[in-house]
Parts: sequence; C-alpha cells; structure tokens
Amino acid sequence: MLKHLYDTDCVTWSPQGKLFQVEYAMEAVKQGSICLGLKSSENVVLCSLKRQPSELAGYQEKQFKIDDHMAIAIAGLTADARVLCKYMRTECLEYKYTYESHHPVGRLVFKVAEKSQHKTQSGAKRPYGVGLLVAGIDPNGVHLFETCPSGNYYEYKCQAIGSRSQAARTYFESWFHLFEKSTLEQLVLHGLSAIKKAIMEDEELNEKNVEVGILGKNLKFTHLNAQELKDYIAKLEGFNPNSQIQQE
Amino acid sequence: MIFNSEISGEQQHTTSPVVTGGSVIALVYNGGVIVGTDTLCSYGSMAAFKNVKKIAQISKNTIYASSGEFSDFQQVVKELAKIDRSALQYDDGVHPSPKDYGNFLARLSYKKRCKINPLYLQNVIAGFHNGERYLSLVDIYGTYLESNFITTGFASYFCKAIISNYWNENCTLDQAKQVIRECFKVLFCRDCRAHDVIQLAYVDAQGAHIEEPERVETKWDFNGFKSRANEKLHTQ
Repeated sequence: MLKHLYDTDCVTWSPQGKLFQVEYAMEAVKQGSICLGLKSSENVVLCSLKRQPSELAGYQEKQFKIDDHMAIAIAGLTADARVLCKYMRTECLEYKYTYESHHPVGRLVFKVAEKSQHKTQSGAKRPYGVGLLVAGIDPNGVHLFETCPSGNYYEYKCQAIGSRSQAARTYFESWFHLFEKSTLEQLVLHGLSAIKKAIMEDEELNEKNVEVGILGKNLKFTHLNAQELKDYIAKLEGFNPNSQIQQE
Repeated sequence: MIFNSEISGEQQHTTSPVVTGGSVIALVYNGGVIVGTDTLCSYGSMAAFKNVKKIAQISKNTIYASSGEFSDFQQVVKELAKIDRSALQYDDGVHPSPKDYGNFLARLSYKKRCKINPLYLQNVIAGFHNGERYLSLVDIYGTYLESNFITTGFASYFCKAIISNYWNENCTLDQAKQVIRECFKVLFCRDCRAHDVIQLAYVDAQGAHIEEPERVETKWDFNGFKSRANEKLHTQ
C-alpha cells in the first residue's frame, strides 16, 4: 500500500471518505498468517497456520479459548490480540458469575466491536491491529464471527483471514454448501484442505505448524493434539469432497 | 461534630423493614410452576394496604414474588426489568432465562448483604424455559436454592405439612391451586399478618399468566362462636 495524504491520524477523513489509519490497521491483519473457520449445524472448526519467527523459536499460537463455549483465532498483531482475548475472557467470567450461564456469542462480539470502534474515533489512540475469528455456541445456535480493526463485525458460514486467505476463500466458495451437514471429521478435513491451498509451494502442512480447534454443541472447545493432527493430515491425501456429495 | 446523619451525609443501612408483604408459596406442577401470595402489605401490625399486587412478570416466561420489605420488592422488579430491557438494546434475540434472573438476584442480594445493607426480602423466581420448569428461592443473605416447592415466612411453618400431604411435583394445575388455597386458608387463621384475599400466577409453555385476586374460603359461622360456650364471663 502506498502512502497517502490525510493519513496521519484517525480523526482525519480523506476526501474519498476513508479513514486511512483504520485501513492501514486492516493491512496488519492481512499480513498475519492465515486462519480460517467453518461451521456446520452442530460444530465449529478453527484452523490456523502457525509461524515460526526463526528455526530456534517455537511456533506462535493463534487460537485462544475464551470460555468452554467460545474460542478465537487471530491474525495480526499478537500483542493487540492478547488485550482483546483478556477482555473477552473477563467478560465471560463476569457473565458467568452473575448469571450462571454462558455469555451469548453475538453479544460479546458486539462488545469487542464497540471497543474497537472507540479506538477509531480518537486523536490519541490507534485501532487494534488484529482481526479475530470468533467461534462460539449459544442457545441461538452455532456461530462464526469475524471482527476487524474498523469495529465492524460480520457473521459467516465460513471465513478465512490473513495472508493468502483468498485461496482458502475460493476453496470455501466451491464447497461451503456441504458444510451445514458435514460431520466434525469432514469439517476438519475441509478446513485443512483450505489451509493447504494457502501455503507456499515449498511449505508443507505438519502437526507442528498447523493448529486446529474444535467446538460442538456438546463439545467444549479443545485443540487437536499432535497425534490427532498427524492422523488428519494423513487423511487429507484421500479426502475428496465430491464423495460427500454422493452420500447425500 | 455533626451527629445528624442527614446533614453529615452518612450512609444509612436498612436492617429493619417498614412495609412488609406476607408469605409466598410456590409449587411446581406437571405443566409449569405456580406462585401464590396474599394481597396485603402490613405496616407493622396494621393491615395498611389490602389490595396490593405482589407478583410481577419479569419477562415472557418468568415471574417474581417476594415477602419482606415491599419497597425492596419494587426496587428488585426495576432491576430485573433493566436486564430484560438491555437485551432489547443488543437486539440479538437472546433473552435471559429464568435461571439467569435467579442467579443475578442472588449475586445482587449477596453484594448488598456484604455491605450490611440488605434487600430485606425472601425472593421467589419462577419460570418455564426450554420445556423445563424453574423455581428458586433467593434469601436475604443471597443464598440461592432451586427446588420443587418454595415457602417463605410463616408458610414455612404452617404449610409444609399440607404441601407434603396433598401435593406432588406432577400434579395438575388445579390440584396445585387447591393446595395453595388451602395453605392460605390456614395462614389466614394462624398468621397475624396474613389476609384472606390471595393472588395466583403460573408460568407454563405458553408464558406467564397472572390471575385476578380471589378471596379464600373461610368459615366463621361456627356454633361455638355464636354461643360462646367456651368463654366464661368473669364477674366479680
């Protein structure tokens, strides 16, 4: 992205009606490594590609449990993500303490969006440089939301954000009509297939650089462990979404 | 030194009630939950307000009643209505369940109790949510108890035997109503702060139904009252 006039702070509009600082913040999300989410009528799955800053380092975690019924996957500035993660966890705990039930998902996403918007309307603040995919289950059903630095939020059937996410979205566009009725296993395989579309030629998916989180109506949020990831990645070879159509 | 607390702005703590409501009796039945109260607010031993509606509808499927300080009852109704209203602001179709209200009230009562400024109430929250009946008691300390039947005040002493003998959790609505009417009959006879006009309200799958007040049947035309054979005139 080239530099623009009118981009010094959040309180300056451009003549075209853009807030450049907010747009720049959304660039930070696009630079993060890919994470995606997809849901069926019973489950939500989050998949992300973990980056390793150097060979000596560990892999950066991208998915965080907010509560038993909710989790997020992040793309962008991890430090900003930690702030939002802490806020969401605190809100869930307070809600549970007061009402003895789970925080409705949409409502928490709305709160995060409000917080994000607040940062886009001040001369002294900067927007959060992170986009979240919020997966959650509440009495209203199964949810997948995306939040972004602008303070907007959207609900999705499936979505991918971060670097090279367009490839994953293209995969989704071809196959998302199957997701509603997919089993959990099929959902994970779809997610991993989508991520595979988004990795570089010389990279390969393995249990170290991929993170998969699953959530279900009767399933608290869990990460797949290394062995389960290995098994799923092995199954990817023989996974053919066309066979799922024949079943139905 | 200023000793008059109105001038000095000291915070006052309410630890004794002024206008009080009587017992609440609530039972679960096969299709929902029913709550009964009388319609009296007492000013100490004076039966001051005899036509008071003491059962409030909090949301479509939740009702609330309490015994104790009536101004605190009114305040709690406002607090619980606030929650339901804020759900409208979010506009996401999520409404608190009866259990959410019950827990909220327990947290609120506990907080005030810890500051030695309690809501002077025994609260009963009744509701029907997702096909399940809900009935709970929150007391003045913030204790939260879910149960199939709840009695507060003197009903806990006089009415448990009647409930135990004539009620079970799968009885019909009419049977439950009869049990409650019988309980209030006994209360009117034995509890000095009770009244013979009661109000029933029930919540089922269709929502909350609050009935008009009704007078409990009582019998006063005993021969013993007329002849007063048991009373001796002491003349000296």
